[in-house]
Amino acid sequence: MNNEIRGAVPGGQGEVMAHAVDACVHCGFCLPACPTYALLGDEMDSPRGRIVLMKEVLEGALPLADASPHLDRCLGCQGCVTACPSGVPYGELITAFRGWSEPQRARSPLDRAKRSAILKILPAPKVFSVAARVGQYTKPLAPLLPAALRAPLDLLPETVPAMQPSPAVTPARGVQRGRVAFLVGCAQQALTPNFNAATLRVLARNGIEVVVPEGQGCCGAAALHTGARDEALTLVRRNLAAFHPGDYDAILSNAAGCGAGLKEYPMVLRGEHDEARARAFAAKVMDISEYLHRLLQAGELEPPLPASRPITVAYHDACHLAHAQGVRAAPRALLRFIPGVTVQEVPEGDLCCGSAGTYNLEQPELASQLGARKAKNILSTAPDLIASGNIGCHTQIQSHVRRAGSRAPVLHTVEVLDRAYRGEL
Amino acid sequence: MGSGKRQASGPTSHSPLVTDLLRRLAPHQVLTSLAERRNYRYDAIQFGETPLAVVLPETTADVVAAVQAARAAGVPVVGRGAASGLSGGAAPTAPGLVISFTRMTGLRIDPARREARAQAGVVTLAVSEAARPHGLIYPPDPASFRTSTIGGNLAENAGGPMCFKYGVTGDYVRALQVVDAAGEVHELTRDAYDLAGLFIGSEGTLGLMTEATLRLVPPPLVTRTLMAHFPEVGECAEAVSQAIAAGAVPSKLEFMDRACTNAVEDYLSLGLPRGAEAVLLVDTDGDDLPTVEEERALVEAACVAAGGTVRRAGTDAEAAALWQARRSVSPALGRIRPQRMNEDIAVPRSALPEVVREIRALGDASPFTVVQFGHIGDGNLHPNILFDPRHDDPHAVHDLAHRIALVALRHGGVLSGEHGIGTMKRDFMRDAVDPVTLGALWSVKRALDPAGLLNPGKVLPEEVKG
Repeated sequence: MNNEIRGAVPGGQGEVMAHAVDACVHCGFCLPACPTYALLGDEMDSPRGRIVLMKEVLEGALPLADASPHLDRCLGCQGCVTACPSGVPYGELITAFRGWSEPQRARSPLDRAKRSAILKILPAPKVFSVAARVGQYTKPLAPLLPAALRAPLDLLPETVPAMQPSPAVTPARGVQRGRVAFLVGCAQQALTPNFNAATLRVLARNGIEVVVPEGQGCCGAAALHTGARDEALTLVRRNLAAFHPGDYDAILSNAAGCGAGLKEYPMVLRGEHDEARARAFAAKVMDISEYLHRLLQAGELEPPLPASRPITVAYHDACHLAHAQGVRAAPRALLRFIPGVTVQEVPEGDLCCGSAGTYNLEQPELASQLGARKAKNILSTAPDLIASGNIGCHTQIQSHVRRAGSRAPVLHTVEVLDRAYRGEL
Repeated sequence: MGSGKRQASGPTSHSPLVTDLLRRLAPHQVLTSLAERRNYRYDAIQFGETPLAVVLPETTADVVAAVQAARAAGVPVVGRGAASGLSGGAAPTAPGLVISFTRMTGLRIDPARREARAQAGVVTLAVSEAARPHGLIYPPDPASFRTSTIGGNLAENAGGPMCFKYGVTGDYVRALQVVDAAGEVHELTRDAYDLAGLFIGSEGTLGLMTEATLRLVPPPLVTRTLMAHFPEVGECAEAVSQAIAAGAVPSKLEFMDRACTNAVEDYLSLGLPRGAEAVLLVDTDGDDLPTVEEERALVEAACVAAGGTVRRAGTDAEAAALWQARRSVSPALGRIRPQRMNEDIAVPRSALPEVVREIRALGDASPFTVVQFGHIGDGNLHPNILFDPRHDDPHAVHDLAHRIALVALRHGGVLSGEHGIGTMKRDFMRDAVDPVTLGALWSVKRALDPAGLLNPGKVLPEEVKG
């Protein structure tokens, strides 16, 4: 698609957006991959349509306020990126566009306060933990509250466990095979502390020393994807200072959203002085499943104990793992490595569960429709347990499968592996 | 293709058309804001005029209401499915009303009658998916089958790889429901005057197809796939001619030239032979394995005799990967140049080697990248001129497209195998159709659409007076 964006937005982010728009040939192959198009059936709520809207806003042919409702409904799931044969980097486009447009948005004071609260609470695990506990007690009042406040309460698990801080260094057990740095993540420390505990146990068991670098913080993805570019840049630079890629075999994340965020650092800093540093950093970033899969392929992954009975696992592809990072085979291979486990593919597996970062807080109605659809698809495989690799999906899926009446455990892929190692599967 | 910078925002909610639409239809079915309307002016090739309003009908009655409102306001009506078309058919040429069928997705399978009743907005693939549990499929399979709608397929009489053996969309239509320019609903069958046949492939210029009764068939029990590659494009065409002359009736015979293979390889990394000048993909199918294998052997022998190297797909997964390659050609070309002029010629098979070579020579002598692919089994070729509108002269592109069209006509071919004429090949109709016949086509158009409100500017070139 021809465009004049480079003239309208000079610099690195303008180049990112112009390049993406150039690449789109409006063929429509993205339509069936888009969750909002599936729900709404209109062009403005499809990737191809949103590209046109962004292009026209950037070129000044369309007021931002007219396009915003449709752009806000985009989950950022990047299902369209997988489907696009022309290689349009849609994820980069929408992220850069949100960063460019947010300062120009007219938002109500209430809206502003809500967004600011989300972005302050989410990256601060201790505050989040307190908020989650308060939320738990407020839960019975949920039906009385307006939708915007009800959504976060609906998603809270029944119990909020105690936080388990990760040690600065977890030594390898037995012969040391590697040394990695680990990003501990934000919300999951408060909601699902066992994700990190299981990750450290599984890595240590396989001879990997795990370092949790001091000074690290939120990956910045939530801020970046909601257009809070300045906040995101601060967080990005803080992590670039905390992690020294040369010291580790890999920089690991066990949250798909965070991992994808870390891999985006070079795009965020396109054209800035620390772009090279961001490239070196991003080159070392891996999802936990990618790293363990490499060990598996090298014949270095310790075989888990067989499951106590045949177990069917429905594996859910987190969008930020499958679409944004292209990681699909590794988690499935790890699950299949456990004797007695059968992995079931979920119908409409490429369609987002509706969690999508802060989407289920900002667009609760669409998020809920997608969550219900995902739960129905997952449960159609009659799973004994459900696995995924992202805290957001975990919360959303758990909430919706419970609502659909299922008690099947919802676990992180690495938790399934950890249980198998401990003979608890 | 003008993007229409800072175009006037058009009607407000006070415009008579919008007021009338809102009286006849529910608010969520009528799109009026600029952001909404700007998104209904393109197909997969062309950008057109911003419509005055867009209607998203759910029933035939909604379509009738929309057509009546447009008629009362005297504005043109353009029907639209997923807008994955390749000839500009769904891109409005004048401000008017766009009716987008994407929410008309009702689908019913009648296994006993081996029929599907589908509303216009049903995605093509969905018909086969719904039919499969009953042991049936819907064979027409345009490359866009995951995206395109039945209504769009009917409007363009879409084909696809299967059409050599199994036929095109029109061959599977038993009955059609059509809303005409006056807003009247017609139920058309193939009996007596084949009016259904007249509407199929008419690109929305004679009426709006709202529902269709489609014929379903049992899928073949076995399929065998092979890929052959050739050091020269003409050799590939020769292999096809020889294989068919030897008695093979493959279900699919698809051709991609070197530029296509490389574009797809850049996208999917399937291990296609990047160095080959032409790649041929062939399926033979049926219910009797020895016959299917025998047919594959006939094709294989013809390929080897013409100078090709043959690779058999060993597994279903390997066959599926090869077909994914072919289906991805069209959009993957966007990686080479952002825009393309997409030809859709069909020529007699005997002329194929000569036609493919002549087009190749025209491309080589031009400053443009010309790529070729297509359903070579029935002589349907898609020569594409890739260009960058920022640097290339659109007249030179059009000129080359015209010369390519003339190659097809000179060898007894036609302008469109499956994509329709739209705006892209409208000018070439004068070369393809004699003036008397063109006059007859205009008479049909005027009889069914006296005010000229249905998809104006498409298919038929303006009449030369006097």
